[in-house]
Amino acid sequence: MLCLLFSFLFSQAQNQTVTGKVINDADKKPIPGVTVTVKGTKTATVTNEDGSFTLKGLDPGATLQFTSVGFQTQEVSASRAGIISLKSSEAIMSELVVVGYATQKKRDLTGAVSVVDVTKMNKQPSPSISDQLQGQVAGVTITTSGSPGEPAKFRIRGFGSFGTSDPLFVVDGTQTTNINDINPNDIATMQILKDAGAASIYGSRASNGVVIITTKRGRGKTRIAYDAYYGTQRPKVNNPYHLLNPQDQANLKWMALRNTAEANGQQPVYADPIYGSGAQPVIPDYILPFGKMEGDPAVDPAKYYVNPNYTDADDYNSFYQIIRANKAGTDWMGELFSPAPIQSHNLSASGGGDQGSYLFSVNYFNQQGALMNTYNKRYTVRSNSEYKFNNKVRIGENLAYSITDNPRITILDEGNPISMAYRQQPIIPVYDIKGNYAGTVGGKLGQATNPIANRQRSVNNKGMSNRLFGNVYGEVDILKSLTFRSSFGGEYYSFASRWFNWPTYENAENSQSNSYSENSGTGFNWVWSNMLTYSKSFGDHTIKVVAGLEAVNEGGTYLEANTTNYFSFDPDYTTLTTGAGAATHGSARYSRSLYSQIGRVDYNYKGRYLLGATVRRDGSSAFGPDNKYGVFPAFSAGWRLSDEAFMKSWKWLTDLKVRGSYGTMGNQANLAADNQFTTYNSDRSSSFYDINGTSNSLVLGFRQGRYGNAAAKWESQKYTNVGFDATIGNRLLEIVADYYVRRVSDMLYAPELPGTAGAASPPTVNIGKMRTSGFDLSLGSHFDVNKDFGFDITATFTTFKNKIESIADGIDYFSEESRRFNGNNIIRNEVGHSVSQFYGYKVVGFWNNQAEIDAANELARKATGDPDAVYQTEAAVGRFRYDDKGAGIVTADSRQFLGNPTPKFNYGLNLGGFWKDLDFNFFFYGVQGNQLWNQVKWWTDFYPSFAGGKSYTALYDSWTPSHMNAKAPIQENAGSFSTNTVPNSYYVESGSYLRLRNVQIGWTFNNPAIARLGISRFRLYGQAANLFTVTKYTGLDPEIGGGSNTAFGIDEGAYPVIKQFLLGVNLSF
Amino acid sequence: MKHAKYLITCSLLVAASVGLDSCSKSFLEKPLLGNLTEPVLANEKGVTALLVGAYAALDGQNVGGGTWESAPTNWIYGSVAAGDAHKGSDAGDQPPINLIATGKSDPSNGFFNAKWRADYEGIARCNSVLRVAGIAEGIAEETKTTLIAEARFLRAHYYFDLKKMFNMVPWVDETTTDLKAPNNVDIWPNIEADFKFAYENLSGTAPAVGRVNKWAAGAYLGKALVYEKKYSEAVTVFTDVINNGTNSKGDKYDLPARFEDNFDPAEKNNEETVFAIQMVAKAGTGDISSGNAGEMLNFPYGNSPFGCCGFYQPTLDLVNSYRTDANGLPMVDTYNSVMVNNDIGIKSNEPFTLYSGNLDPRLDWTVGRRGIPYKDWGNHPGYDWIRDQAFSGPYAPKKNVYWQATQDTYSDRISWAPGSAINIHVIRFADVLLLAAEAEAQGGSLTTAMAYVNRVRNRAASPQSAVYKYINDATPLAGFSTTPAANYNVKPYPAGSPIFAAKETALKAIYFERKLELAMEGHRYFDLSRWGIAPTEINKFFAYEGTYVSDIRGGSFTANKNEYFPIPQNQIDLSSTGGTSTLTQNPGY
Repeated sequence: MLCLLFSFLFSQAQNQTVTGKVINDADKKPIPGVTVTVKGTKTATVTNEDGSFTLKGLDPGATLQFTSVGFQTQEVSASRAGIISLKSSEAIMSELVVVGYATQKKRDLTGAVSVVDVTKMNKQPSPSISDQLQGQVAGVTITTSGSPGEPAKFRIRGFGSFGTSDPLFVVDGTQTTNINDINPNDIATMQILKDAGAASIYGSRASNGVVIITTKRGRGKTRIAYDAYYGTQRPKVNNPYHLLNPQDQANLKWMALRNTAEANGQQPVYADPIYGSGAQPVIPDYILPFGKMEGDPAVDPAKYYVNPNYTDADDYNSFYQIIRANKAGTDWMGELFSPAPIQSHNLSASGGGDQGSYLFSVNYFNQQGALMNTYNKRYTVRSNSEYKFNNKVRIGENLAYSITDNPRITILDEGNPISMAYRQQPIIPVYDIKGNYAGTVGGKLGQATNPIANRQRSVNNKGMSNRLFGNVYGEVDILKSLTFRSSFGGEYYSFASRWFNWPTYENAENSQSNSYSENSGTGFNWVWSNMLTYSKSFGDHTIKVVAGLEAVNEGGTYLEANTTNYFSFDPDYTTLTTGAGAATHGSARYSRSLYSQIGRVDYNYKGRYLLGATVRRDGSSAFGPDNKYGVFPAFSAGWRLSDEAFMKSWKWLTDLKVRGSYGTMGNQANLAADNQFTTYNSDRSSSFYDINGTSNSLVLGFRQGRYGNAAAKWESQKYTNVGFDATIGNRLLEIVADYYVRRVSDMLYAPELPGTAGAASPPTVNIGKMRTSGFDLSLGSHFDVNKDFGFDITATFTTFKNKIESIADGIDYFSEESRRFNGNNIIRNEVGHSVSQFYGYKVVGFWNNQAEIDAANELARKATGDPDAVYQTEAAVGRFRYDDKGAGIVTADSRQFLGNPTPKFNYGLNLGGFWKDLDFNFFFYGVQGNQLWNQVKWWTDFYPSFAGGKSYTALYDSWTPSHMNAKAPIQENAGSFSTNTVPNSYYVESGSYLRLRNVQIGWTFNNPAIARLGISRFRLYGQAANLFTVTKYTGLDPEIGGGSNTAFGIDEGAYPVIKQFLLGVNLSF
Repeated sequence: MKHAKYLITCSLLVAASVGLDSCSKSFLEKPLLGNLTEPVLANEKGVTALLVGAYAALDGQNVGGGTWESAPTNWIYGSVAAGDAHKGSDAGDQPPINLIATGKSDPSNGFFNAKWRADYEGIARCNSVLRVAGIAEGIAEETKTTLIAEARFLRAHYYFDLKKMFNMVPWVDETTTDLKAPNNVDIWPNIEADFKFAYENLSGTAPAVGRVNKWAAGAYLGKALVYEKKYSEAVTVFTDVINNGTNSKGDKYDLPARFEDNFDPAEKNNEETVFAIQMVAKAGTGDISSGNAGEMLNFPYGNSPFGCCGFYQPTLDLVNSYRTDANGLPMVDTYNSVMVNNDIGIKSNEPFTLYSGNLDPRLDWTVGRRGIPYKDWGNHPGYDWIRDQAFSGPYAPKKNVYWQATQDTYSDRISWAPGSAINIHVIRFADVLLLAAEAEAQGGSLTTAMAYVNRVRNRAASPQSAVYKYINDATPLAGFSTTPAANYNVKPYPAGSPIFAAKETALKAIYFERKLELAMEGHRYFDLSRWGIAPTEINKFFAYEGTYVSDIRGGSFTANKNEYFPIPQNQIDLSSTGGTSTLTQNPGY
């Protein structure tokens, strides 16, 4: 915010001539081209280059009016003219914040509204607003991923639903749920509407909070700015999963065989196709043919035959592949990840005058993925302009067009290339002796796939998406205090991608077919709003009334097709028509609409007593005829205590306002458009049948697709918020604190029906209840020591508690994510607990000897009265001992909550300042008190969890009779209930971390030579992102994005956040 | 003037908002996209398409269950759990099957839930046919009856599957409104009624070869009656079916001379087909869900041409069962006294000696073993195709494996594991003959029983049912020689055989014949359970097999518990209201 500093210099009015100079309040520089009008006359002049003006023949009592686009109009009595300091309209804008369908003075806000410091936010080197916002706003929790272009998880004040809890974004008045392609450089202001008082006016879409964004507008003389950075991203390589080398890997196998044999009272039998049958395993020269040494006729290269582009089975069956062992070990992460460049270039031109304003910007962003063949390239252009016909009519547009090219890998699953980097054994090289891919072929080294092959084969897979997003509007001042605005906005998007599935030969489990697929989609979603705004001050009373109508329509199509059996795999040849095999295709359409009536009243008395009320009546096509409409009212009030007489003596207290709000918000995002209908449909894979016995064709069949529920209505949230805003001294300390309670009832949820219902989709019904309460705090401290030195500190603190209060009749919990635990789920959402908690058996130690097991079994017999009872299934020496919760026996009832991925709190700390021409900024972000489920350990810490890369822990820190104080249990040949086949607390780890998200040091060149070149600003900066992270988490990175509200915090193949080092420039003319 | 302005503005705005409001009604009506509602289907074409949908659920795929969990062959529940086969693969792969195989089935085992869901989706589809047929217009009465009879047949099939798996299951039909139906009533009468309706109302030839006819209904009714131990009623029905029955095309039921015809997609829907699930390859679904996806894991591993996944490995016990004596008769009590040579621990490039004793040739159409032609894929190499011999033995499945010569037509490699167009027999005529033999024997007609058994054995003995060596081992596609691949010797029971002189020995022989003929087809567990000999037979198997192979060590079959699988815990939970479930768990769980 710019300071409100008026400096008047009194100059003597010399009879009828007045001279003066107009300067910019912000930088005290002269403003040329300001129109100076003698009020009530046609006499006018314009300031010259140095901002000065002269007017002759004036009445001494005349009033001068100073107008210039981009600045607030000011009136000064002619007798007082001298140096006139104009405040930029941006400064005025920053006092005014855009809230739902209106603007309010920041000091008059009664709802919980966070105003984002866009400048600070823009310091993060990311093309995504969400990524940039992490830690910047109290009450907002953002979880990012290192994968370029992967959307961050954006939550305002926790969870409002079992389904999606993404907030609603309103960009220049247009509602959208997608801001991934909005260029952050274009953002002028950003407000987060958190409570009902602020957000309820968005009715049925408000319940997860609303983010209001306005984009930049032009003003004043033409200004051209160029902002760019270029840098490098440095991934973690050098075996970050701490996997064993090939010899150790073989030793582990021997250890597991020995342990299992000994447990059965047998002698171990070592007969391994790769490592031989000696007492010590031997790393062979070749892994294919199995375990051969150099010189063996079987590895004669003359025998080698592989045709990587094979198209028929006979060819494949004749392959003779020869793969050398990589005795040093392949660092698959190192092969997969490498340093990669990142760059962004932003050019904008803006300006404005009496007749209108314009802003034009172009942005090119290119982040190469550290992971092979991934990247995020984006081209964005924006044009914002406004045209004024006279003082009363304005029309304009805000339009952005973006093109995105962003191939990504799927994250957080066991099959992605990152997971393959720990699942593929290090003895396997990347390539075989002839340069074709090597792998698990032959099936004796597990069944992982070669991640390098996966990434290299995808190099010609292409996809593009583009979106035109924005609005056009017209505004008419019908009366001085009554304005009508009509805005038509929305998005038109399309995307298309194509990919080729190669046949594989290097893996244990190969896909022998080749196929080519394309998909595409397009949609047109629009919002038309018509609003009347009346604002007036009567003495000490100020009132603003907004009323209007809004219609939202969404519709689009999706298309996909696939053909198999290509004669040639040349990417220039493969199309959907050139494949010789079966072709499949499919398409889908969507369509839904919303119609709303909106009203809002803001009233204040002397700026001291503030009242607000909003109401919205929404109708949605997704609901049945009887429940189409919902009404969402909210009330808020504020009291500026600091203006009261009894507080006046507290001089140190500059401002204090307490606020409160209560209201209802809705949610319909979790409802399928056809939920109200009982439907029948057909699906080739499921409902078609070869009734004619042809072996190669299917006949149309139908099945029930969905059980309809026409009675479904809005998910409704009762929201209470209390808070205060305080300023101490001259912005020495600014505090915004809020406490809130969100109570969601009629939560839309589709509980699983009994199996007797069949497989038709269960209806979404209004049954669940959930409560979230929390506390947001932001602190700011600004020290402008002098004009050469100043700094500021801002801190945000977010904490909330979530509790499921009910799910459905007879259903107290639902579980998700069984991963490799075969139907035993990791996550349980249970009444009385928060969402997505980890659940399973609690490990209390190891069984260190048979006597312990015998004693426990005795206990179990006593507890159950069953002479055959055992304490714990498959208990054995060296395995985990589970907690019995005092029951004397471990059963399914012994499972318990093991951890919570929701942090106790998260926080951001921003330290910034300047010293003369040097500026610096440090930004820390931290998460505290959450747990993560490190599923990677299932693969690496247990020998029997599929053959794959195993960890140091498995070999060197697993239980043995001589090493009982171990981390991992005894390594065996087969999995068991008491080691790795059920979810247990071994996988749960603390997820707390503190990260130096960003450091930036800049230098502004204030050189007259530069100014002479017409350069008004020239700044260079160096920057490091994600420089260090303090955490006890043993996985690659504790920030695990992705997952749904009811299942998150599981680390398996996560894409770690990567260090970045950048150099940047800000240049303007 | 000022007032006029106000007035005009306000009336314009009111008019605009009223106008918008009235058109909002239609604005908020959005059509159902890509779906239909019930009335659209209430006609002959619609009901027929719903019936096709009810057939489509037979394969257990994409119907809310799993892939292999709800395989229509019941290879896990019917065969792996009964000692026909090991789970296969290695220990860490699909561990819930290890538990099912060793009698440690737990209600929370997700496999049972998947199986349950898949069958009930089939039932729901049948109920849709019946419900919509009830309101449909313009269907000729005869056509309507046929549609209804087929739907009831299919419903009875799904319930039969549930009944043999779980015993007490809730009955849900087209009139049921409360889906939390209880499982406190035996549903055999309902199953019988549905099959009877189909038996009495369907004709001998069906409108399409994949649709069921009167005789399929009769055969299935007979099967249900045998399960219910209503032997004399069963005899009546079976006699009709055996004497007069035809397949859907109208061909009289018989056993083709070549045993393998049952598993060769080129020979599908032959005179042995009573009720088969039609499978396809490359039919444009982009996956193998209509092509035996339930068996996708069950192919040799390692450097085999199939790639995946080394499951479903026949047991040593099963292989030994095919030993025959000098008279070509099975060694019902002593088959395990000598083990058929196997190649455990012998690498593929090391020498191996084939078993030279007498064998029933059905062995080599049922089990892939070292040194014997694996259809036309070459001699089975043993070790190289097996994932972990010490874990689950040296053998490979065979009945579900397609032929190399016709793989372009009948196999589908679009997925990570193979699919095929091999039909699944729910009932084939050999099954009918053996069930009829059982019913006859129970009723004391031992001669008729022996005749039925001998029809089955005679086919096994036919020269076309033997496996022959390749003309040239290096070029298996060049065809087979006339030299049998092993020492085959199988013969019918001779007239006056003492075995068929007493009911007890006759039944034993019939039971054993079922094991040999229908091995690896998902029947044995249910047979052993209904015969009441599961505890002895399966525990005997654990004791024998566990000496050589590690996976089933520690297995045990508990009488009066393991005869049925547990009601899925998830279903008990989902059927509760106010803390009490309408479903009761089976005894012992």
